[in-house]
Amino acid sequence: MDCSKILELFQSELVVVNVGPKSFANALIRQGYQAVQVDWTPVAGGDKEAQALIELLGM
Amino acid sequence: MYWIIEKGHYIDSLESLFATTVLNEQPGIQRALVGMATGPAKLILKDVGLVNEELLACSDADYVIVAEADSQEAFEAAVDEMRRVMKQNNAVEAEESYATVAEAVAAHPKANLCSIAVPGEYALEEVKKALNAGLHCCVFSNNVPLEDERQMKELAREKGLLCMGPDCGVANINGAALVLSSINARGPFGIVGASGTGIQHVAAILHEAGSGVSQTIGTGGNDLKEPVGGLMMLCGIDALEADPETKYIILISRKPAESVLQKVLDRVSRCKKPRVVLFMGCERARIEATGTIWAENLDDCGQKALELIGKSAEFETEAQLDAMAAEAVKGMAPEQKYVRGAFSGGTYMDEAVHAMEAVIGPIYANNPNASPLQLPDLNKSIENTCIDYGEEEFTQGRPHPAIDAGVRKPAILREAADPEVAVILLDFILTPPGHPDPAGYVLDDVRRAQKMARQRGGRIAFVASVLGTTADFQNIDDQRRKLMETGVLVCSTNYKAAQLAAKIIRLKKEIG
Repeated sequence: MDCSKILELFQSELVVVNVGPKSFANALIRQGYQAVQVDWTPVAGGDKEAQALIELLGM
Repeated sequence: MYWIIEKGHYIDSLESLFATTVLNEQPGIQRALVGMATGPAKLILKDVGLVNEELLACSDADYVIVAEADSQEAFEAAVDEMRRVMKQNNAVEAEESYATVAEAVAAHPKANLCSIAVPGEYALEEVKKALNAGLHCCVFSNNVPLEDERQMKELAREKGLLCMGPDCGVANINGAALVLSSINARGPFGIVGASGTGIQHVAAILHEAGSGVSQTIGTGGNDLKEPVGGLMMLCGIDALEADPETKYIILISRKPAESVLQKVLDRVSRCKKPRVVLFMGCERARIEATGTIWAENLDDCGQKALELIGKSAEFETEAQLDAMAAEAVKGMAPEQKYVRGAFSGGTYMDEAVHAMEAVIGPIYANNPNASPLQLPDLNKSIENTCIDYGEEEFTQGRPHPAIDAGVRKPAILREAADPEVAVILLDFILTPPGHPDPAGYVLDDVRRAQKMARQRGGRIAFVASVLGTTADFQNIDDQRRKLMETGVLVCSTNYKAAQLAAKIIRLKKEIG
């Protein structure tokens, strides 16, 4: 596999786009890295979100 | 019942779960719920009887704090404290937020990695957007169909990008601890692993010995299954072999599917860098036939990696554990004979059950992978029992115990109330988004448990391990010290803690 883009990542300053709970972005900022937050909402909207996110965090 | 409604104030689901936990712990509060007044939230309010017309009339955009409390004053004081803790927890906030990945990338053209934690059914869509925007991905989402996972990883390969996960809980890129990783020192070891706890464990051993990791790449737990074909494991090996900062490569997984194992071993045999491979349950000879160093378990994997640079990890010796066990049984009552393990990490529970059953026989557990003896009632441990508090039945409505230490907390006093319990075995996992003081959080309960045992004329041995590093915000040394000062027997690793617990139980049986 051509790894040039991965090596470029390894040699660059990390800038993270966080799609999900804000606490993950905050955790990166507290470590001194750049993170920007995407306030994601499901296309279907509303009700499913809370339940599904809870499920997700159950790992 | 007392309540506050704040229109137009938004907090995400994780924050509301955290706020609910904090509010419930305040004095004078019987039960409480904090969050957005969405449909499901209103159903929960109805279920717990914390509801009225005004709350039902709220919309998805309204933030509500509801509690049954001793008095208005108690409620107000509790809410103040909750807000203070929340503010402290959110001390550093992402300043900007965007509606989509495309908007975020347009505003930040140097963005190079996307961390994705959306419900599994939406993950493929979000990963595609990120990969198409040229971002490497770290995908925490789980319950992603294997077909979706294969699609994501094929697209990533086509574009020459990383797709760590789905179900990737641990990855360290350029020194940053992503998702639930520990903060690690940089060093010559690159790790690719399908087990998050496994990567974190080995990286922590390297850190403690004064070395560190170049990059750690989590593949997600399903990568080495047949339908996914080890796509990310193979990509990770290619990347680490090409990376000049990586001098040694470590691979960690449960035993891969046979066809995938063969493919990975073929690749490993062509790898030009020294490597250590831990594929749990895989024949040693097959690993060694590829010119690779074989590791038996997580501790061994860390140790063998360190040997490559002339260092070694210090684990307790058998003699030290025997001496600790001999000390621990002093003062125990005759009826005390069982161990109860309460784990926040599934991998750790499996490891502990296997380590202990070899010494003390069958152990009840709540995960069929760990033990054939399934615990019928999760609130009632039987004889020797281990419970993984990360399993679904405990996390419905709450985040995983690595983030929300409250999930596991009630176990300590419940197990200690059983006069036949001799040992309570615990793990603690440190990560930047996790509890700021997971050990400190349970110390009061540990003291109360010790007192209960003393009042019965006995003595409970608490045995624990902490996974993390001195670079973690919670600092592993501080966490270990707090536990030790409270009389907890702290071992260097989970495996050693399980060995000690088993030795105590065996010794107790011998002396009666």
